[in-house]
Amino acid sequence: MDLGLRLTAAACLSLSPLAPLTARLAYLQIFKHDNLSVRAAGEFARTAQEATPRAELLDRKGRVLARSIPSWSCFVDKAMVKDPHAFAARLAPLLQIPAAEIERKTRAAQRFAWIKTHMGQAEFSALADARVEGLGLVPAQERVYPNGDLARSVLGLIGTEGRGLAGLELSQDSRLRGRARRLEVIRDGQGRTIYKNLTDAGDEPPALSLTIDRTTQYLAEEALKEGGEKRLFKEGLVAVQDPRNGEILAMAAWPPNPLRNSFVQDAFEPGSTFKVVTALAALESDLVRPDETFSGEAGKWQISPGVTITDHEPEADMTLAQILERSSNIGIAKVIERVGATRFYRLARAFGFGAKTGCPLPGESAGELKPLSDLTRVGLAASSYGYGLAISPLQMVGAYSAIANGGVLWEPKLLLDEKPPVKVRRVASQRAVQDIALMLEGVVEHGTATSARIPGYRVGGKTGTARKIDPLTRKYSSSAYTASFAGFLPASQPRWTILVVLHEPKGAYYGGLVAAPIFSRIGRRLLTLEGIAPDRPHDPALGTAQR
Amino acid sequence: MMMSMFMGFDPRRAAKFAGLGLLILFLSWQHVQATRLGYQVESSRKRARQARSRVAGLRLTLDQTLSPSMLAARASSMGMVAAAPESLRVLSSGATDAHPSRPLLWARNVMSLVTPARS
Repeated sequence: MDLGLRLTAAACLSLSPLAPLTARLAYLQIFKHDNLSVRAAGEFARTAQEATPRAELLDRKGRVLARSIPSWSCFVDKAMVKDPHAFAARLAPLLQIPAAEIERKTRAAQRFAWIKTHMGQAEFSALADARVEGLGLVPAQERVYPNGDLARSVLGLIGTEGRGLAGLELSQDSRLRGRARRLEVIRDGQGRTIYKNLTDAGDEPPALSLTIDRTTQYLAEEALKEGGEKRLFKEGLVAVQDPRNGEILAMAAWPPNPLRNSFVQDAFEPGSTFKVVTALAALESDLVRPDETFSGEAGKWQISPGVTITDHEPEADMTLAQILERSSNIGIAKVIERVGATRFYRLARAFGFGAKTGCPLPGESAGELKPLSDLTRVGLAASSYGYGLAISPLQMVGAYSAIANGGVLWEPKLLLDEKPPVKVRRVASQRAVQDIALMLEGVVEHGTATSARIPGYRVGGKTGTARKIDPLTRKYSSSAYTASFAGFLPASQPRWTILVVLHEPKGAYYGGLVAAPIFSRIGRRLLTLEGIAPDRPHDPALGTAQR
Repeated sequence: MMMSMFMGFDPRRAAKFAGLGLLILFLSWQHVQATRLGYQVESSRKRARQARSRVAGLRLTLDQTLSPSMLAARASSMGMVAAAPESLRVLSSGATDAHPSRPLLWARNVMSLVTPARS
């Protein structure tokens, strides 16, 4: 027999048992392929997600205010735990958690329970090496704020799901959150992961820069903290803005609360800091001459039957500059009678009062400005010195920035992006604004705000003291006040507008006594840090320090 | 034709079979290698994640150490006090292109010396 034939026959005989197998394989591969591949994928293949870190929040100089770092969470699958007591005893020293707590979670009704979240690298390694059955490890991202509570009312916070709950973390959530990276992996018989391929590279969002300056923010918080810790006031706020472009440099609040930003969410009766609006309205329309005087009525003026306006000190005749320096309610009420409701209302609206500023923080309050039709003679007089209306601190600091820069109202800018600062409008003529700015320097120099003085520098500003409304009686309280001071420096070329608001100060409650010193303290530190040369080098208060 | 295929020993046909066998061997080897590399990739991913975690932890420590409150606490423990503006000595007119209004006093931008460049 031919060798080839014999070999062929032998091959056919030995391969013939494989024929049914081949047929079966062909059947499975050709006719059942889709069905089986889906089942196999479900059995072994997994799509793993790798959480993308949330974008960093940086200050204006690139220093980190918030960052996400990799962390791990561990959970228990109690169906896989045979002895909860032994399970807990083994984990307790690794996790630094009482064994009883782990055991309680393991015996809970639900099959799945988190045991610990936000674990660091060391804990993760220890757990991974221990290979405890029933314990699962999940990678996550933890949000950390390296500067502690610094600027937390601006930054806000995020929830356990990694979504923003308050502050910029909430309003910029979609911009800060990235898209998770997705990977296809398969698991072998021992449950180990084998990388297969990358299905989605994900998207890591770029860092978000703020206009906040970390150092300025710290100085503002430090200035508030001292009084806050001594319980000298119930709540304190300091805002610092660059009057040249509306950039917010600091927003400090005491006590710090990441869930609430009082600068935009709250509105308050400003008191005498609002007198500049009335005074500017008079100057803008040339209704008051520089040397013209108004009677101080010896401290009491009955504007209508049953309604008397009082000053804290009895005053004689005063010019407009002196009305501001002495913060006379009677004087400014007389000025507004000449200004009229329409001009006053129009200017207040031009300053942005009664409207949202456009600040990118959630829950902004527009404040409350009575409609023109509701402004009676008494109501108008009260409005002239900052009663009967509500404004947000951000609106107030913006208004003083407009006075500092010659009359331009800027939209408060909090995000340092490519968009240029937004000039909202010119609120009044440069001449009138400059006159008001000079009067405000007089307030600091020899008025109610002498404690805001900084030797060698020109400073302008206005104090405010307003009674608060008692929430129980709905009447003005005789013991609770809001003290404030708003000012700018150096007045020759203003770089900073600073607003200080103290709610319910204890003991002394005048803005000039409690808020102005905080302004001065922050201003001095800023001038030192920036190395700004004195704009009043011959100030006698400077002494011999400056040569 | 089928019969003629099995008739006789054809070296070319044997070579084809051998080639096919080698191809199967190669594919098997490739599959094993892919699995092995899959394990390595997964292991490397874990190591990379641990390294990232370590770097993030170190950066956090650096940021915390350089936070204003920490610096202030350390400065005050060393007896330093905040300077007043009148205690500054202006050494030059200070008009530079970068900081038109800032006199040249001393280097302040310490962060640029210690913070690694960000990508």
